[in-house]
Amino acid sequence: MKAARQRPRGASVLLVSLISLFAFSCSHSRPDRIVIGSKNFTESLILGELIAQQIEAHTNLKVERRFYLAGTYICQQAVLAGRIDIYPEYTGTALTAILKDKPGSDNQAVHQQVKSEYERRFDLTLGPALGFNDTFAIEIRGEDARRLNLKTLSQAAAYAPQWRAGFGYEFLERPDGYQGLAATYALHFAEQPRVMDLGLLARALRDHQIDLAAGNATDGLIPALDLFVLDDDRHYFPPYEAVPVIREQTIREHPEIGSVLAELGNKISDQEMRRMNYAVDGQHRDVKDVVRDFLHQNKVVP
Amino acid sequence: MNVFRFILQNRSQVLELTGEHLWLVGLSTLFATLIGIPLGIVIAHWPRLNKPVLAGANIIQTVPSLALFGFLLPVPWLGDRADRLAILALTLYALLPIIRNTYTGIRGVDPAVMEAGRGMGLTESQLLLQVELPLAISVILSGVRTAIVISVGLATIAAAIGAGGLGEFIFRGLAMVDNRVILAGAVPAAMLALLADIGVGWLERRLQPR
Amino acid sequence: MPPTPATPAIEFRNVSYQVAETHVLRSLTLQVQPGETLALLGRSGSGKTTTLKLVNRLLSPTAGEVLVNGVPNLNADVTRLRRSIGYVIQEVGLFPHFTVARNIGLVPKIEGWPEPRVRARVEELLQMVGLAPELASRYPHQLSGGQRQRVGVARALAADPQILLMDEPFGALDPLTRDELQREFISLQKRLRKTVVFVTHDLREAMRLGSRIALMEAGKLVTILSPDEFLRSTDPWASAYVKAFGDRLESTTTEGKS
Repeated sequence: MKAARQRPRGASVLLVSLISLFAFSCSHSRPDRIVIGSKNFTESLILGELIAQQIEAHTNLKVERRFYLAGTYICQQAVLAGRIDIYPEYTGTALTAILKDKPGSDNQAVHQQVKSEYERRFDLTLGPALGFNDTFAIEIRGEDARRLNLKTLSQAAAYAPQWRAGFGYEFLERPDGYQGLAATYALHFAEQPRVMDLGLLARALRDHQIDLAAGNATDGLIPALDLFVLDDDRHYFPPYEAVPVIREQTIREHPEIGSVLAELGNKISDQEMRRMNYAVDGQHRDVKDVVRDFLHQNKVVP
Repeated sequence: MNVFRFILQNRSQVLELTGEHLWLVGLSTLFATLIGIPLGIVIAHWPRLNKPVLAGANIIQTVPSLALFGFLLPVPWLGDRADRLAILALTLYALLPIIRNTYTGIRGVDPAVMEAGRGMGLTESQLLLQVELPLAISVILSGVRTAIVISVGLATIAAAIGAGGLGEFIFRGLAMVDNRVILAGAVPAAMLALLADIGVGWLERRLQPR
Repeated sequence: MPPTPATPAIEFRNVSYQVAETHVLRSLTLQVQPGETLALLGRSGSGKTTTLKLVNRLLSPTAGEVLVNGVPNLNADVTRLRRSIGYVIQEVGLFPHFTVARNIGLVPKIEGWPEPRVRARVEELLQMVGLAPELASRYPHQLSGGQRQRVGVARALAADPQILLMDEPFGALDPLTRDELQREFISLQKRLRKTVVFVTHDLREAMRLGSRIALMEAGKLVTILSPDEFLRSTDPWASAYVKAFGDRLESTTTEGKS
């Protein structure tokens, strides 16, 4: 059985290396290394970079970036499995998409609900709200707002029959989207709303192809194109406050992260977020530079 | 050469994602082997079961992988963790080659050898363990090899649903429109598949009965 | 030595075997005495191989009983039964992944013989079947056809069974080798005195090796005679056989059989 005896050498080397790679990947406690994730759109990248630079500047921890993850579910899976330690999420999204609860309307209450549910169910916790509310923004042209003296959605509802509306596909389909909005404010448009690509909505509004659109409150193009965001006076839309989602294990191992991130609490206003978004999307500046400037100017240094 | 420098610079992340990838492929192949080889042995001995079992495994194979991942997402315990889901799906896809090759390998054993063995008074289990399986092992391993190579490829798609692995580099690279990131995932994945193919192929040849 | 009025080694009592609509064997009754060499002679489809396989229960009768050493073989534990009967087939069926030694020693080994005893037995058998001891570590694919069948016979004799069943054992060999093996079989049988039933379609082989010839046709036993009686028989089938082999028959009846 000479042949049988020669087998073990090569096979065992292969086996040992495979097992050690397994073991390496299984142990998710990385000494002194923190992985920050983010979704794949500009605002999420900016927030992820913000968290990363903040931790790099104020702790001894080495930070690894795992950005451009393709969506909420993927980020959630990654943080649950320990592949990432922190990522920026929105309270409203966490509430409806992950916890599958009914949307609420009070910022504080929603934040608290999400935090306690996350801690109970997932061994995850939330950092402080960063200050802005990236909720849905119902936009009209600045000139119309001034001419007709419109400030709130309730006021604008009167003019709906004369207007054409344009929405993204998701907004039309989501239960907390168009259906609910139209019901809450008794909106009746002359024609069915047009479905358009999100990126084209703002321009279509400016060019008078549509008169009302649903975008994001922190969209950088709002000030640039002189668009006006109508106030959601009936509080239809749930809050979408940006919060860092953090693994409890990470906080336990590195408690300094908690205080470092606390410094970011409430530091970013809606306007400020719009400005940063525009800097990246409109002015094509590098995300890293935009974030660095922000941190300098706002002296977020404990 | 840009790619290799990039991989070197980010080697800890590449290693980590490779480890995740191996975890997905390794575990699913293990399960598929534990289920598939006994199933293959059963249908080789009871040919009437052959059609339904092989047909079943075949049907699973024809479902597009991304669709299967999507199908399983709403399932309660599975959908909660993407890696669980991915491992189940990868196991299902690995079944057909393993079952089929086990069946073929065992049926391919010389009937004269089986008749002599039976006539000599070997029990059915002695026949299975000492004659059929050793003679069929090379063909069975070939099925396992196919399963592994398929799994390495499918596991890259599993990143689309958040299971991690080298596919994550590919998807992130696509979103960033950065070729180096894409290749940082694609190249190691291809190398894994190649290594598995060569490694198991070598083992097959070693174990080939004369 | 004339058969003693003792228990037959093998007995068929009205045995029939049917597959779907085909009656492969019809009401077969015959006895094989201990120590004799019975040739089952017949054309293809005459049922001779089926008869052989009914002895070691590779097949089970649809009617009637097969008794081995006086015990109906359906009552016996099939594994014990088969291990007490040697079985040699035309294709030999050596285990290709075992050495010659391991092939031969397999049954003793699974019967729990201690290793030294197995090795000694293998050496003994190799000598008995006329194979050089160096061949013990070779693999079947390295052997010639004749060598392979010798190993097959050695393997069948390993646990020293009383009964040996052989299904056209030399059929796949060239005439020279066949002749050689037949001669060696005869001298081996003189020494060992096993009860042997072998299947053949060759009258010369039947006459040369067998102490009696059982002629079968279409699932029935036509006649069972000694070689001399067979030559002189007036039975139509027997004489047809004798005629078919014409002058290729020599008087082989006295060649070393008792």
